[in-house]
Amino acid sequence: MKSAGNDIVALNAIDIQRTVSPAFYSKFIIPEELELYGQPQFAPVPFQNFVWLLWSVKESAYKYLQRHQADLIFSPAKFIIQNVTVPKEKIIAQTTVWESDTVDEQFYTGEVTFGTHQLYFRSKCTPQFIASVVNDEPGFDGVYWGVSAIEQPDHENQSKQVRGFLLTKLISVLSADDLYIGKSPSGYPIIIHGEKQSGVLVSLAHHDRFVAYSFFKA
Amino acid sequence: MDRISILSELKKVLAPYTENKEQLDGINENTDLIKDLKINSANLVDIIIDAESQYNIEIDFDAAEKMYNVGNCIDVISEKLNKTA
Repeated sequence: MKSAGNDIVALNAIDIQRTVSPAFYSKFIIPEELELYGQPQFAPVPFQNFVWLLWSVKESAYKYLQRHQADLIFSPAKFIIQNVTVPKEKIIAQTTVWESDTVDEQFYTGEVTFGTHQLYFRSKCTPQFIASVVNDEPGFDGVYWGVSAIEQPDHENQSKQVRGFLLTKLISVLSADDLYIGKSPSGYPIIIHGEKQSGVLVSLAHHDRFVAYSFFKA
Repeated sequence: MDRISILSELKKVLAPYTENKEQLDGINENTDLIKDLKINSANLVDIIIDAESQYNIEIDFDAAEKMYNVGNCIDVISEKLNKTA
C-alpha cells in the first residue's frame, strides 16, 4: 500500500509554555508514548520538541493512510509511536532522498501503528523545525523528502511556495515539464501529468516559514 | 446555551488561528477548520484547549477527534455543557 505522508513544525511558531502543559500534550500523547521521553536518545531533547516530534509523526501517518481511506478522521491519540531510535546519518542518506540545506540536525526513526496498520517514520529535528515522513516499510527506498525555508508565512504564500518546491523536484525526477498539482475530492494534493492523474503520490506540509514535501517514486 | 450562542463564542476561539477573517465571519455548521478556514493542523489542539477554557468544559480524546468542522465542534461543546449543567 504505497502512499505519501509528511508534516513539519516550525519551532519558532510554537507556544512552549502551552506545549509543556499536560493539559495540552495529553490530548494526543498516551502514557506509553510519554515514557519514551525517559529513554537515552531523548536526553538532549527539550520536552517541547519531543511533543512536536510525536505530533509530526502522527500527522504524517494520518496523511499516509488518508490517501487510501478518504473518510479517515485524524485521531492523534490512536496513532501509537514506538521503538524510536537514532540512526547513523549515512543510513538515512542512502535510502531517503533528502533535500535541505540545514546542517545542525538530529535524525530519528521508529514505528507508528494505527489499528492494524504498521508504518515507519523518519524525522529530522533542527533548532528551526521538526520534519517527519512516513512509509509502509522501514527501508524508505524511493521516498523523496524535502524541506525549504520561505520568506513570508501567510497561507497563500505557503501554498504557492510548497507547490513550486515540489514541482521543481518532480520535474527533475520524472523528466517531465507538463506537470501540475491538483486536488482530490478529499482535499489532498494529486499530480496531473498532461491530462491524466500521475501515479506518483505526494504529500505537502507547511508551518510558518517552512514548507516540506514527500513523494514516492519507484 | 443554544447552538447560535455557541457558534458566536466559537468564532472568538477560532479567530487567533485563521488569517481569513471574512470567511470566519460567515462560518456555518459545514465549515471545515482546515480546508475552509485554512487553520494549520498544528493549532487543532490549541483550539480544543481554548474551547475548554472558554466554556469551562473538559474535552476528551474521543470528543476531540470529532472537532474538525464547526458543526461537530458545536455538537461536542453542547454535549459537554449539558453534562456540566
